[in-house]
Amino acid sequence: MIVAGRSGEGVRLVLEAEEAMLLSELADQVDSVLLLGSGDDPAIDRLLPNAYPDDVEAADEFERYTRGSLVDGKRQAAQSVRDATDVSDGRDLVEIELDESQAWGWLTFLTDLRLILAERVGVTDDGGYTEDEERDDYLRAAYEWAGFVQGSMLEILDPMDA
Amino acid sequence: MTGILEATDVDLDVDLDRATREGVARSWRAIVWDDPVNLMSYVSYVFRSYFGYSREEAERLMLLVHTTGKAVVATGHREAMERHVQAMHGYGLQATVARAES
Repeated sequence: MIVAGRSGEGVRLVLEAEEAMLLSELADQVDSVLLLGSGDDPAIDRLLPNAYPDDVEAADEFERYTRGSLVDGKRQAAQSVRDATDVSDGRDLVEIELDESQAWGWLTFLTDLRLILAERVGVTDDGGYTEDEERDDYLRAAYEWAGFVQGSMLEILDPMDA
Repeated sequence: MTGILEATDVDLDVDLDRATREGVARSWRAIVWDDPVNLMSYVSYVFRSYFGYSREEAERLMLLVHTTGKAVVATGHREAMERHVQAMHGYGLQATVARAES
């Protein structure tokens, strides 16, 4: 993927069809993780953290009042990425223009994707990986790639020398 | 609520009472915790965009999170801190609400 530059207050992305398909598939999976929202899935704890780790009652109440809209917002972000990267019409390159608000949707989606992948591939507190042969190289590559894309978008949206 | 200009019959108990209430109202914190996933540039951009902090303040808070493991990003009413923490969760940051230590 190439983060091609500014588009007004937003950003312009150019993806190869294979990258778009990968992103679309990953976005669909993020949406599914959120849709299922299983309490058994440790990734959910990363996506929807406990706001009151020392107060069960307050934690439950916070969750009751916030979870619905948080899940909705994250699912909408994932769905918009999935739809924008749909390549069923057989193009070789996919060009996507995002305004500032849409770019935020992508940034938060990429964050949620990396939070899920980090849990799946066992990213440890020092940013390394656990030594587990069972873990999938494909997921690690996707994790690194999503971070690269997000970093590239931020360099355009928030240049350090501004 | 009585405005300052209407307080013609001020007595000490009422003033103390108000001071206590305001103290309680401000005694909550929104805390963001370090995690190994989020990019430093992203965390800083979130602090700047959401809270409206200057680039310097956003960088300072981000580095505090990164180096010490956490940072208090806002203090105030409990409801306001819960809104901030909900927003941080929306951005994918690890955040909690806590009563300020007196």
